[in-house]
Amino acid sequence: MRHIIRRITDKAFTILTGTSVVLLTSVLLIILGPMVWRGAKAVIFKDTIEFRKMQLDLYNRGNSEALKIETSETESFRRTVYKIVDDFKHGIDTEELIDKSKQIYRQFGKELRYRGITGKQYQKIRSLARDLRGRLQAAFESNDKKIIKENIDYVLQYRKNKYFVDTTAAEFFTLAEDFYKTIENIDLNKRQEYTASLQQIEEVIFQLLGPRPDEPLPALTMERYGATRWDLAQKLLDNLLWSQQWIQQEAGQPLTKIRVSRAEQFAGTKLEPLFGYVENNLAKMLKPEYTFYWQYFIDDSTPGHYFGGVGPEILGTLLLTLLAMLFVFPLGVISAAYLVECASDNIAVRIIRMCINTLAGVPSIVFGLFGLAFFVLFFIPLFGGPSKPCILAASMTLAVLTLPVMIRASEEAIRSVPQTYKEASLGLGASRFRTFVKVTLPAALPGILTGVILSISRVAGETAPILFTGAVALGPLPKSLFDPTRTLSYGSYDIAVGDRLAMMVPHNQYGMVVTLVLLILSLNAIAIVLRARVFRRLRGE
Amino acid sequence: MQKGNDNMLIPSLETDTQEIESVVSLSQKNNVATKKKAPNCECAIVKSENFSFYYGSKAGVKDISMEIYPCSVTAIIGPSGCGKSTFLRSINRINDLIPHTHIDGKLFVNGHNVYDKNTNLVNLRQQVGMVFQKPNPFPKNIFDNVAYGPRLQGVKNRSSLQQVVESSLKAAALWDEVKDDLKKSALALSGGQQQRLCIARALATRPNIILMDEPCSALDPIATGKIEDLIDKLQNDYTIVIVTHNMQQAARVSKRTAFFCLGELIEYDSTVKIFRNPGKKQTEDYVTGRFG
Repeated sequence: MRHIIRRITDKAFTILTGTSVVLLTSVLLIILGPMVWRGAKAVIFKDTIEFRKMQLDLYNRGNSEALKIETSETESFRRTVYKIVDDFKHGIDTEELIDKSKQIYRQFGKELRYRGITGKQYQKIRSLARDLRGRLQAAFESNDKKIIKENIDYVLQYRKNKYFVDTTAAEFFTLAEDFYKTIENIDLNKRQEYTASLQQIEEVIFQLLGPRPDEPLPALTMERYGATRWDLAQKLLDNLLWSQQWIQQEAGQPLTKIRVSRAEQFAGTKLEPLFGYVENNLAKMLKPEYTFYWQYFIDDSTPGHYFGGVGPEILGTLLLTLLAMLFVFPLGVISAAYLVECASDNIAVRIIRMCINTLAGVPSIVFGLFGLAFFVLFFIPLFGGPSKPCILAASMTLAVLTLPVMIRASEEAIRSVPQTYKEASLGLGASRFRTFVKVTLPAALPGILTGVILSISRVAGETAPILFTGAVALGPLPKSLFDPTRTLSYGSYDIAVGDRLAMMVPHNQYGMVVTLVLLILSLNAIAIVLRARVFRRLRGE
Repeated sequence: MQKGNDNMLIPSLETDTQEIESVVSLSQKNNVATKKKAPNCECAIVKSENFSFYYGSKAGVKDISMEIYPCSVTAIIGPSGCGKSTFLRSINRINDLIPHTHIDGKLFVNGHNVYDKNTNLVNLRQQVGMVFQKPNPFPKNIFDNVAYGPRLQGVKNRSSLQQVVESSLKAAALWDEVKDDLKKSALALSGGQQQRLCIARALATRPNIILMDEPCSALDPIATGKIEDLIDKLQNDYTIVIVTHNMQQAARVSKRTAFFCLGELIEYDSTVKIFRNPGKKQTEDYVTGRFG
């Protein structure tokens, strides 16, 4: 009986541990999986022709001849889009129509003078033209079909007028006729809505396809290219096909968002074919291709993480981490050596030990403020350095942050070196210092490297301590240790806080986070391999 | 020892005693043979005068006065906790590592009081080599292990280091086994080889005295036999003090034996005398196995 119970409990224990391992793994996968998946999209994604243009212009990569051919292939599809938009716009845009009529009026005046008509006759024709212009304007501005018809008819009765035949003023009548045709299909009450929607459509098309070929190049690099990524293009297409409206369904209720099809909105107008056309021909306009953008890890980013990669961020993170290790390794080892080998067990040493333990639990933002107050404002200026956030101050702050971890790990490592090694060395006539350097330290090295691994993991991912001491979101590459630097942790924080950018470049945000994780993992891997090698050498294998 | 076990153990112990006697007579012959070669063996190389060693307030050894003679093997025997290791480790002051200890009396090595304030510990420990209970080679390769002492003494020349290493390893009867892979880690050697490496390492500093703290307690009989042969060979050139739990071993290798009990020196005489005809009842009880 007891045997059975023991077997059952054994089984239960095995199942319990197995389940917990599975649970842990799945939780990790659930947390990390989507992050890695999204982060990978920063490197492997479907790019568009706009991306290739950008790469060629900014980084001089790619084949300019092939790109030219591709561009010409997309040209005709794009032109169709522009034409549809323009055609519709000309018929509906009140401002534009009024401007046009004014222009015709001015040109007509010039023409009259050119033909030598002066005096009373000039005044008469001029006032007639002014009258027509006014009528047209009234028609353009009106939303009432009856008023429009009246005015247009009034204008059109002068079509055969001898003063206007074969002159610039004849354009008045084509304008009037076109407008009349346009409004036949349009619900005039919707004109406001159309104009607003059209503005959005034009904006989306600009974001999709970039500036039109005949437009001057925008000053901002960001605006010079259309959608560089196919997923972004899909999102923009969605914005093009659907407009979002906030409506109040019942009084007192919060507004709800509904999606309205723009194709329905513009049904029966000249713009209607646009939506189907863009939806069907977007791929032909943008030519998406799968790309492995490994340069993401070395490229500088152009306007604020919008294009480009995280090269400077990786560099900054590595620099800060390695510098911090450079500071913390000797400090930690020396402190640990003192605590183990030299310090006697008195109250002062016990207090020091307690302080170290407490420091390990202090929030990192406190270290950040300490770094600002001590390193940035006092310590570095003391030696003639500039009193501003810089790499040196940031890495020193990180070193202070991780010092307790390092001391504790080194202390344990040094303490666990067998006493017999020390005895053997001392027995051969070595001094205590010599014994420590030649025997104890090499034997403790694997344990100390464990401390380094823990420190690297802590340091590379920290944001708060470098917030005030040496990190910037944007800026040039640091030229010396007295310049601030960009880092992955601070970069992802900044994108997350700058909400508009985060919405436009989610891949970049996740890309940074995943890069950071990968960087820490690879730094750790290096340290672990190093530790294993040292360990094997010590074991004599 | 418990009463109940006595009856069972006595026969075997008796055979042990007989064995010891035969061994003693054998080693005596050896010693006679070697004595002729050993020069100037009469004045003491280590001499303690009323030497006491305290851990805190508790005495490890009390009032020890004895003389150890050069170019011979001196064994220290006694039950656990009797202070034999403490005494041995006081000779090269390796006990200094233990906090809260102090001493009383005098301990001379080569005529200098080692507990004098002016004692140069480095010189002392180079003169007095030590081999520990457990083989403790450094986690380095064989060459570096042996060269550790000479390097401390400032020998940098590669060829002279090589010479020292080779002669030390030969003296420790290890050379033939490791000469092909001196770059191998010392930890890859077997226990017996490691212990001989430790002896080689101690020899490399050219000491006068070698202290051995139960050098064979962690080894199997074959390795023990090799170490004992080595000790026998080394006593021509070095003064060896060996602490051991194994009375047969003491009888086999030593010329003189000291019996410690409860921190006091009970009897110190020639090995033959201690094992055959001890002067004190306590000694007799211990060597015959009746001591508990």
